[in-house]
Amino acid sequence: MRKKLILALTLTMVLMMTAGVLAATEITVWYHSGRGPERATTQDQVRRFNEMQDEVKVNLVELPEGSYNEQVQAAAVSDDLPDVLDLDGPFIANYAWSGYLHPLDEFVSQEMKDDFLPSIISQGTYEGNLYALGAFDSGLSFWGNRKYLEAVDARIPTSVEDAWTYEEFMQIVADLQELEDVKYALDFKMFDVGEWYTYGFSPFFQAFGADLIDREEKQAEGTLNGEKGIEAGKWFKSLFENGYANQNPPGDTEFINEEAALSWTGHWNYNPYTEALGDNVVLLPTPKFEKQATGMGSWAWSITTNSENPEAAWKFLEFVLQPENIVQMTDANGAVPSRSSAVELSEPYKEGGDLALFVEQLETIAVPRPVTPAYPVITDAFTTAIDNIVSGGDVEEELDKAAQEIDDEFQYLGIN
Amino acid sequence: MQRNDKKSIASFLTPAAVLLGAFMILPFLMAFILSFTNQRLIPSPRGTQFVGIANYLRVMGDELFKTGLKNNVVFVIVVVPLQTALALGLAILVNIKVKGNKFFRAIYFIPTVTTMVVVSVIWSFLYHPDGLINGFLTTISFGIWDGIDFLNNTSTAFPAIMLMSIWQGVGFQMLIFLAALQEIPDSFYEAADIDGANTWQQFMYITLPQLKNTTTFVIISTTILAFRLFTQVFVMTNGGPRNSTYTVMLHIYNMAFKRLNIGYASSLTVIFFIIILIISIIQRFVLNDTEEVQ
Repeated sequence: MRKKLILALTLTMVLMMTAGVLAATEITVWYHSGRGPERATTQDQVRRFNEMQDEVKVNLVELPEGSYNEQVQAAAVSDDLPDVLDLDGPFIANYAWSGYLHPLDEFVSQEMKDDFLPSIISQGTYEGNLYALGAFDSGLSFWGNRKYLEAVDARIPTSVEDAWTYEEFMQIVADLQELEDVKYALDFKMFDVGEWYTYGFSPFFQAFGADLIDREEKQAEGTLNGEKGIEAGKWFKSLFENGYANQNPPGDTEFINEEAALSWTGHWNYNPYTEALGDNVVLLPTPKFEKQATGMGSWAWSITTNSENPEAAWKFLEFVLQPENIVQMTDANGAVPSRSSAVELSEPYKEGGDLALFVEQLETIAVPRPVTPAYPVITDAFTTAIDNIVSGGDVEEELDKAAQEIDDEFQYLGIN
Repeated sequence: MQRNDKKSIASFLTPAAVLLGAFMILPFLMAFILSFTNQRLIPSPRGTQFVGIANYLRVMGDELFKTGLKNNVVFVIVVVPLQTALALGLAILVNIKVKGNKFFRAIYFIPTVTTMVVVSVIWSFLYHPDGLINGFLTTISFGIWDGIDFLNNTSTAFPAIMLMSIWQGVGFQMLIFLAALQEIPDSFYEAADIDGANTWQQFMYITLPQLKNTTTFVIISTTILAFRLFTQVFVMTNGGPRNSTYTVMLHIYNMAFKRLNIGYASSLTVIFFIIILIISIIQRFVLNDTEEVQ
């Protein structure tokens, strides 16, 4: 009797499931499985999305982050891209240029677009079309050790407007270096050779009035290695020559062990820093040199041209980009919510919150990395140049070399 | 089974031929063809076009390729003789019939069976300014030694990587030498003893000539492996500081996977293949002409 009941129940369930699946449009979503909480959140959102409606069924495929780009590239070549995938900011342009991404403009209302941080829109826009929208952005600035800053009587600014000037900054750094407990006034995380160099240090070039490339002319010559670029490179090199920063830190411990007074890094160190130093940590606005500039950019969702149901795919994106779901994600990974309406719901980022400064910076002084298919070469050439400059190379020579390589690539791609 | 039974010959050859064809010959032919195109890793909207020898012309003016090639040659010149000599020495040592020689054989072989990535990461820690090697040197010199940042110094980075590579690779060559040493009949040495030859003479006139083929093999294979230097520099220095540890393999990897330029990277592999091929052929002739076994 009981067996029959179980059998009957199982059959009904199987039938129901089959019926549900048959009716629903299936879309495949590729996702780079990042850190634990971020992954759990995505899984939870997919599950809730599948449960709350029966028109679209999402199959989430998680790929390891280390080889994610390679897998996507391979799928692009063999025409096996899924309906939806997430891409790291700097790669979006390359896929858009190659024609693998479906423009999102038809789905996104002006009102919705205005709700996103300007940095998110510029990161996802290539040649006038919007190709990617992310749930979060990244924030970059100096974190200070309050104890040391007070010891040198440094003014502690609280908004983008009243940030330190160049003279103030250099004076404070010099003073901090004099303190007995401070081994290095500045922590630049130089062990992390790679994308961090471009993300973290190109804002300094922009602050000096230079840039990686001339964004209009698509040319590096005269911009990266122009007068201002060389000035920026020499300034950066001098920080290491004067002993203000460690060229080869043993690991990410300088700031946490209170050996460094100022740490140039992103939102992702908020938790480790507050855990280690408590109230002693203070987030500072990016100092104002000739200009003020900070980094931005993060993973974002795109729909591919391979998708037979972009409308169904958009339903899923619309869901994960709802303010509540954005906040669920940013609470998990600590990043900056990508929409103003989500920022208001976020404890650390809403007005008056610990990290509200990041939102203010993203709204005013964030500069996206160049949105161009030549980006992989730009970042590699720039990273190599910085690496060489910091280890004693000649600034002009290194920047000339990088500019030359970047311009060769523009020419090779037929963009310039 | 007949010696010229074509069916059995074919059936024994097929598996190896298929695998070699699919994973060695085919990819190489593809690289050869791709080297004449502007193929991208993420395909360009204009599609892939034949660009003639444009990629090869670009190689001629590629400073990084030349730097890499120069470093590779230095690496080969230093590492191959040292590693071969050391391997032979170790093989003779662990071949001495004393108690516990199996233990030493295992010890010397351990680095070789450890993954290169793991070895590289561990040695990065050892070479660090606050690492074990600097700590040791400071202690035994009573503080006179001032910590050197081995991997971040243009003059020490490459030697540091060479030392580590020799340490890691020597066990494998030792094993090959050991096998060859055990092939030499004891009667040769007994006869030499009776003739009154000392140990050095026995080594020069029996051991070395008997090991000739093995030595040739070890030198050529070490040379090829040395030219393929990649993992160590990729993990430990990424070619830096200031390109002092940059190698051709690293350059090919960077061009293909960082800069997405498959066409150009393919032309680099073809040129690199030809260079290694020529060097191997020369080595083979030189090593065969001298020291002919009487």
